Amino acid sequence: MHRRHFLRHAGALGGSVALAQLGMLAARAQAVASDYKALVCLFLYGGNDANNTIVPIDSAGYTSYAATRGRLALAQGALLPLVEKSGTAAFGLHPALGGTTGLQGLWDAGQLAIVRNVGTLVQPLTKAQYLAPNTAKPASLFSHIDQQHQWQASLSVSPSDTGWGGRLADQLASLNSGGSIPAMISTAGNNLFVTGRATQALTIPTSGSFALQGFDNSAGGIARLSALRSLLGIDRGTDLLDAAQDVMTGALASSAVLNPILTNTASPVSGYFTGLTSDFAKQLLAVAKVIEARASLGVQRQVFLVSLGSFDTHVDELNTHDTLFGDLGAGLKAFHDAMTGIGAAQQVASFTLSDFSRTYKPNSNGGSDHGWGSHHIVAGGAVKGRAYYGTWPTLAVGGPDDEGAEGRWIPTTAVDQYAATLASWLGVNAGALANVLPNLASFSPATLGFV
Amino acid sequence: MLAIGLAIAGGGGGSLVSIAPTVLTMGTATTAPASSAPSASLPMTGMTATDAARLLEQATFGPTPAEVTRVAELGLDRYLVQQLATPATGYWGFTYVPHTAPIDCKYDAANPSGTASMCARDNYSLFQVQREFFENALTGADQLRQRVAFALSQIMVVSGVEIYEAYGMAAYQNMLLRDAFGNYRQLLEDVTLSPVMGHYLDMANNDKSNSARGTSPNENYAREVLQLFSIGVSQLNPDGTLVLDSQNQPVPTYTQDVILGFASLFTGWTYPPRPGASSGWTNPINFEGAMIAFPNHHETGTKLLLNGVVAPTGQTPEQDLKLALDTVFNHPNVGPFVGKQLIQHLVTSNPSPGYVSRVAAVFADNGQGVRGDLAAVVRAILSDAEARTGARASADEGHLREPALFITSVMRGLGGKSDGVYLRSQAGAMGQPIFTAPTVFNFYPPSYQLPGASTVAPEFYIDDAATVLARANFLNTLIYRGGAARDPTVTSSTGTTLDLTPLTAAGSPDALVNQLDAQLMHRSLSNSAHTTITRALGALDSDDAVGRAKAAAYLVASSAQFQVEH
Repeated sequence: MHRRHFLRHAGALGGSVALAQLGMLAARAQAVASDYKALVCLFLYGGNDANNTIVPIDSAGYTSYAATRGRLALAQGALLPLVEKSGTAAFGLHPALGGTTGLQGLWDAGQLAIVRNVGTLVQPLTKAQYLAPNTAKPASLFSHIDQQHQWQASLSVSPSDTGWGGRLADQLASLNSGGSIPAMISTAGNNLFVTGRATQALTIPTSGSFALQGFDNSAGGIARLSALRSLLGIDRGTDLLDAAQDVMTGALASSAVLNPILTNTASPVSGYFTGLTSDFAKQLLAVAKVIEARASLGVQRQVFLVSLGSFDTHVDELNTHDTLFGDLGAGLKAFHDAMTGIGAAQQVASFTLSDFSRTYKPNSNGGSDHGWGSHHIVAGGAVKGRAYYGTWPTLAVGGPDDEGAEGRWIPTTAVDQYAATLASWLGVNAGALANVLPNLASFSPATLGFV
Repeated sequence: MLAIGLAIAGGGGGSLVSIAPTVLTMGTATTAPASSAPSASLPMTGMTATDAARLLEQATFGPTPAEVTRVAELGLDRYLVQQLATPATGYWGFTYVPHTAPIDCKYDAANPSGTASMCARDNYSLFQVQREFFENALTGADQLRQRVAFALSQIMVVSGVEIYEAYGMAAYQNMLLRDAFGNYRQLLEDVTLSPVMGHYLDMANNDKSNSARGTSPNENYAREVLQLFSIGVSQLNPDGTLVLDSQNQPVPTYTQDVILGFASLFTGWTYPPRPGASSGWTNPINFEGAMIAFPNHHETGTKLLLNGVVAPTGQTPEQDLKLALDTVFNHPNVGPFVGKQLIQHLVTSNPSPGYVSRVAAVFADNGQGVRGDLAAVVRAILSDAEARTGARASADEGHLREPALFITSVMRGLGGKSDGVYLRSQAGAMGQPIFTAPTVFNFYPPSYQLPGASTVAPEFYIDDAATVLARANFLNTLIYRGGAARDPTVTSSTGTTLDLTPLTAAGSPDALVNQLDAQLMHRSLSNSAHTTITRALGALDSDDAVGRAKAAAYLVASSAQFQVEH
């Protein structure tokens, strides 16, 4: 079956030719300056244990938590209270996510929200329905790759060959038609989330050069480069060859535009990441540099994908979480500060996705196993923060929200609703949300209002 | 409850011998010891150089001119018999180190090439293992064994992300090399009891449930051994296609209750003790030998396994393990599930259902009534008409050369020499740091589809703007910048170089491109690509044979037609 034609090539090649006229470039820059928005997806690979991300700190809640979590229980005094607008705090944040200079500070500033017990669903699901035969529920629950795909596709009815980030970019393509690079950028490689019907992400490196090396202006160099380019356009018609050619074609076009931006060590956003050495921080710095250059790139609606791995904490969860949350908290805070610094905080929203949460009941190795519904973080200047959205599950093993006897929460909010809220903010009108999220009608309300 | 009896006891399969092949009558082949030399009674059936080159692309880390000549004379059957009998080159000279590095074996930023830093690099990173991987791939005689073991390393994955001790990874890879042509049942047992896998997927020190502590058995190995190493999540037909229910939906192979059953069953095992050390629950991390059982840490109740099989109460850890592995081994999915992935690694991303079913049939019965004979499976994969007569196949009947194969194919095809130092770093830059996949799901999923197409293309998952530029820039370094210099910190370092001298004698641009086409890609370069490249060579000084050879090598090896082996 032949591949669909992808806009990225028309955009990347045709666009750069069309924009050779300075007047049009200036017009694009002006359009972007007045109307730019970006979503930054932070995918936490492996399944983040949300039960130790947001923890009850009130006396009864914490006592129950500590009794069940045993060796996995965080110390009550170490949790960072999330003080709500009412002035009380029922929950605390994992200490490694950062206090008043970290994610707790973003919460306090009203720029971070928590969406509770989100997960993959085909339709709203009670425990009785879950246990009944023939209820529609997600396939291959608790499997990494299947649940990743369902989160990225926001479809659990059947396998999908597109992701909701990609369909979002498809839907908003008219706003990006003058761009000199693809609307979607990944620092985490190819991914279903950023695969649309007509648009596909560009992967950029987070270190080193993003350029084709070794060509000079000698007659031989010119002839060889010309041949390399010609070879990318011949013998079309088989999927594998076409794909190999297309990835290189896109790389040549986009790297010419982006390499000076990515390798610019004098970029003002770099200073916000000083001292941060994690790969996650490097990914966010690359994203920040692209956003900083938004006026010259001419893309008005962007979707970015960044990833952080090793959340599959079957063993030694406490130490692993300390490291990963240290990277997550510091990286996200630096990124948010960078966006504020370049005047883009209101225009950029970051949010987490992950395979699933993990069992509330610990396993025998100081870890936890694959769960289901999970709490997620949304951050940005436009976020209606210092607030919770969705419904808190009953934290009881074998209780009304547990699918079995290990503490795997049946989600009370669907990925579709979480995604629809973000899609709506980026600019998809209510009537078109179903184009991005085909199963959204199964859930109510369609959007949650956190941004 | 009683366990449901199983017809085939699969244990001890490692002693199975390979059977000698015949071209047309696999089912009536006679047996021969695996170590036997090519039999004089085999028909001398040579093959064309082009067909030999294509076979070598599937069965080795890339054709060399000498091997093409040799295999063309030898023919498919003799070549396979010889390869199946060739012992592993392997990874040697790695020694045990404690899991926590002593202070004099830690990286020292103030002295990055000092003794402590080098000790850390050589013992607590995969540097030397990855380097040797490329040395072995470039020069080892056991090419087919290495190719199959490399495929297995991407199915039964352990990763340097957690297994950073060189001796541990070397032990695991040596095991895959040893078992590559043995029986899958033995492989499954060796993988399961490997302390390296035990550490990676947490079967080591997995304790029975403890109500006082409120803990349950660890589900990690239970889930992944089923999902990734043996049967997958959905029931398969013998041809690898999905079994569908009356609503046209896939049928799961197991439920969460089965995962809980296997998780309980895989309790009570810990690392083997060091020689002379006392042993108890739990032993310190040690990657040499096989894990050992402690019955009083083993869950003794019944455990639900696959297809209604239940492990009865009161079995020892070893009895339970045997039942579990026999049950998995005999699940009908294993042949199509594992067989299809081996086809994808060696031959094509999109094998026909017929191809998968022929290979799965050999997995089910090697012709001698033996299930799981991997040597017979590999022979079936490479002997199949779809692998052989498709020698003029379209690109959609091949697969993208993954970074390791791209690198080694260029090196072997163009007279390369390397100590592996530069190559290991380049494989990483191209998205495939050897033996260091991000997760147990490998560098790429076997089901990955090209965006906008139904074509399966696993290796394309790591083919993106960043990594394709790394591929082209690797060629630029090798061809135009003289490769990589010797590394004084590596014993017997040779650096990394190509030898393009043979190409400089080719003569005309046309002859030059023909020679590269034959050496690198079994003459699969299209006419239009040939024309495009020869025209570019015409812009170079006709006296500059070296310059023309370099430009030709760069353009052929960077072309999509070479990248996609077909």
